[in-house]
Amino acid sequence: MRLLATAAAFALLLPTLSPAAPVTAATAPKRDRTADASVVRVTSTNQQTDLIRPWTRKAPFTRRGLGAVLPKNRVLITAELIQNYSHVELEKAESGERMEAKVLCVDYEANLALLEPAEPKYLAGMKPLDVVTDAVAGDTLRILQLESNDAVVSTPGPVTTVEVARYQIDDASFLLYRLSLSLPVKESSFTAPVLKENRLAGMLLRYSPQSQTADVIPGPVVAHFLKDFEDGEYRGFPRAGFQFASTRDPQLRQYANMPAGNGGVYVTDVVEGMPADKAGLKVGDVLLALGDAQIDQDGNYNEPLYGRITVSHILSTKNQAGDKLAFKILREGKPMTLEVTLEKKAARDYAVPPYIFETLPNYVIAGGLIFQELTRSHLKEWGNEWRRAAPQRLVLYDQQQTQLIKPPRKRVVFLSQVLPTAATVGYNELAFLVVTKVNGQPINELADLPKALEKPVDGFHKIEFEDHPREIFLDAAQTAEVDQMVKKTYRLPALSRLK
Amino acid sequence: MFRRLALLAAVVVATAPAVRANVADVRKSVFRITNTLQAPDYRAPWNPGNIGRGVGAGFLISGGRIMTNAHVISDARFIEIEREGDPKKYPAKVEFVANDCDLAVLTVLDPSFKTGLKELEFGGIPALESDVTALGYPIGGEHLSVTRGVVSRVDYQLFSHSAVDSHLAIQIDAAINPGNSGGPVVQNGKVVGVAFQGYSGDVAQNVGYMIPTPVVTRFLKDIEDGKYDKYVDIALTTFHLLNPAQRAALGLKPDGNTGILVSSVMAGGSCDGLVQRGDVLLTIDGLTIYSDSSVQIDGERVEMPEVVERKFKGDKIDFVLLRNRQEIKVTVPLKNADPYLIQAFSYGVRPRYFIYAGLVFQPLNRNLMAAYNFEDLHTRYHYNFYVIDQLFVDRPEVIVLASILPDRVNSYMNGHRGMVVDTINGKKIRRLEDVREAFDVSAPTFVVKMLGSGRPLVLQKAEVDAARDRIRNRYNLVSESYLGGEG
Repeated sequence: MRLLATAAAFALLLPTLSPAAPVTAATAPKRDRTADASVVRVTSTNQQTDLIRPWTRKAPFTRRGLGAVLPKNRVLITAELIQNYSHVELEKAESGERMEAKVLCVDYEANLALLEPAEPKYLAGMKPLDVVTDAVAGDTLRILQLESNDAVVSTPGPVTTVEVARYQIDDASFLLYRLSLSLPVKESSFTAPVLKENRLAGMLLRYSPQSQTADVIPGPVVAHFLKDFEDGEYRGFPRAGFQFASTRDPQLRQYANMPAGNGGVYVTDVVEGMPADKAGLKVGDVLLALGDAQIDQDGNYNEPLYGRITVSHILSTKNQAGDKLAFKILREGKPMTLEVTLEKKAARDYAVPPYIFETLPNYVIAGGLIFQELTRSHLKEWGNEWRRAAPQRLVLYDQQQTQLIKPPRKRVVFLSQVLPTAATVGYNELAFLVVTKVNGQPINELADLPKALEKPVDGFHKIEFEDHPREIFLDAAQTAEVDQMVKKTYRLPALSRLK
Repeated sequence: MFRRLALLAAVVVATAPAVRANVADVRKSVFRITNTLQAPDYRAPWNPGNIGRGVGAGFLISGGRIMTNAHVISDARFIEIEREGDPKKYPAKVEFVANDCDLAVLTVLDPSFKTGLKELEFGGIPALESDVTALGYPIGGEHLSVTRGVVSRVDYQLFSHSAVDSHLAIQIDAAINPGNSGGPVVQNGKVVGVAFQGYSGDVAQNVGYMIPTPVVTRFLKDIEDGKYDKYVDIALTTFHLLNPAQRAALGLKPDGNTGILVSSVMAGGSCDGLVQRGDVLLTIDGLTIYSDSSVQIDGERVEMPEVVERKFKGDKIDFVLLRNRQEIKVTVPLKNADPYLIQAFSYGVRPRYFIYAGLVFQPLNRNLMAAYNFEDLHTRYHYNFYVIDQLFVDRPEVIVLASILPDRVNSYMNGHRGMVVDTINGKKIRRLEDVREAFDVSAPTFVVKMLGSGRPLVLQKAEVDAARDRIRNRYNLVSESYLGGEG
């Protein structure tokens, strides 16, 4: 098990210093002082959580980047810069004056975060940037980066396309601008503001030196993030929770009783408990329009600024959580309208959370056996090929969570590994086994486990697994003593964490 | 019997022999086997397959027969045998093949072939550290090669030919090279093993494996009745009982060293209905089962499956087991465990398939998986968990839309490649024959649904009928289906 996922994401932004093509004069980065009063250097010291050893955090490391100064004493950065942060510091480009920063809001899916200096006057005299949402293909934007000597340089490049595509978290897709330019790779540029003239058009999401393209988190996504934060509780980018297929196939259109030649997509999956499901959307429905936006056969609509883009932009970014949206559908050929109230399902509300940052993973050690709750972050410890490489039962639980995990079950609790002691003889090879019951009590989440361990049966703790070997036993009278020994031998700070 | 899921990067090769005084006799009875083979193409199952050639070794045994490895003669179309120092090539044919233990028996039609040759005899299991001599025809060599090594280890080993079967194997440190498979490994003039696999040089060096005589003689005994019945399997998974708390909880002496726990019983397998999950196996055929799942036979500690390894189809095995703390005796008639075969490489069989509207339906198995390496979650689940989750009960065959031969009748269906077929017109698909039957009814429309999310595939019969010749001609389909048997 190696932690490759983070390293790979990092490498994407910071490959070794060798852009493939020579930098032409027209697009060469230039020392740029015009923005000096609108950006601050941000240094974040981060510590990754260690899912394999859930009681520890990995060694701290720092990331640096440029934050965009916004009105109301705020600084915008990408969430990746401060992922699993311990300490965040601002530094003014001109004076070098440093100030600790408070994290106001983070959205890992949209990859944006908002900071505030500990001392409000710190940003006095700076020129906050306005956010613009009107950049389109053909516009030239400037990417600001920090040189190793702390000077700010900018590189211009044209927007070639505007589309909805994947962000850093695997199933999060939002609008992005794709720029074509040759960007110098700076280790100190984990976050880079992107300007249109002298206003903030977005933040750099990633840069590929191979194709010389930069993906930018665009103004509309930044604006959605800021608006959501301003109106009180931050909820995040909503989702409706359904999937669809194209209806280009005339045989499918006929089967679904669709009128010839029109648009509409075929609903293939409706996630239980998500907004579309709550509003009554069903597999086999044909979705014709969202509000006023007519949907074509491929699931695109006509967006005035960008032309045809996928309707998920309407769901995630043109609306906020809590907004209502009319789904115009055909069911068995009959038109209907469903009113869907969009919601954001937080990562922690998934049975298998897609990611956990900042919060440390829960665990319980009993008799030298380590029990954890499944998260996708844990599976990603197996690297980019985790879907094939990680234990397949656990992958299945992640990928099929709505089908496999039904109330009252809330989480997948599994034996992750065994810390060998005299009491674990015969069990030391056991790992990645999904726990079903302990002492006859169903284990619906990790918190159930210590409760179940309070009631041993005939002096033993019986632990049942979904897979081979199906059941093992611990001596109840010895368990506490063994755990103290484990704690001492392996220098564990605590035998459990349950939040 | 205990088929392990671990994958070995073993390259199939033969050991080279080291010769002592009486090897001169032996070497004349070691042959070079050239196999012209035709391996089926699972990506184009209607084709007869690609023709290739392989070289291995074999040796003369009782009855004028030739023993070699199954993988030496896999998918054979024409086999030639050469004797050392004789320019003539003798055509041979396969009498019996055992893909589950990588052995085969050939015969040569020309009776003059064996003139003056000694039929080699089999010895026992050679002692650790004792010298053995391997004879064979390593890479490209026309002449017999002889190398010597010592017996390094006797252990259960995954046989990479089928990739699911594990049997006793002997590790030797003689140089091992591809092309020598099937050659004898001798000691004191007797054959003590058949060289069959090794590792590629970047994994381990000086590690070669031979099939020991208990496995070879079992094969020879099995075929005495004129057919090979394959290995039988108790079809149980068991867990060692080394932990004192677990032992005590199950009613065993905490510091004792006998008994293993049954963690699952395969539906339809030998023990189905006789042994239950949670039973503790105490003895097998009167032999004490130790808690690390070993038994003692003839003074040697061997793995408990060894007892079953020596049995044949229809033989019985006696267990004494502990159920609810009561000792009971159970007699188990032994049979094969076929569900494992989904993960076994198969040889010498034509791939089965059914094509409709350019959609190629094939049963999921290791050969198909090796050809396509499917990504779809449900397909992978059915492959990986077929035995563990007993999916074979519901689906004796898992039918996959393996590929699509593009045509205007299926232009929009590409995204469904590699998915498991769930139903056709509402009828659940449990074997390939069901696909044929489902499309054989007179319905105007066929609706094919896949497992998992995805839209149904809708086919208009009239359009499919019109496309039939077009697809057949365009893709040179010799036949639109092969469902098994003759044809």
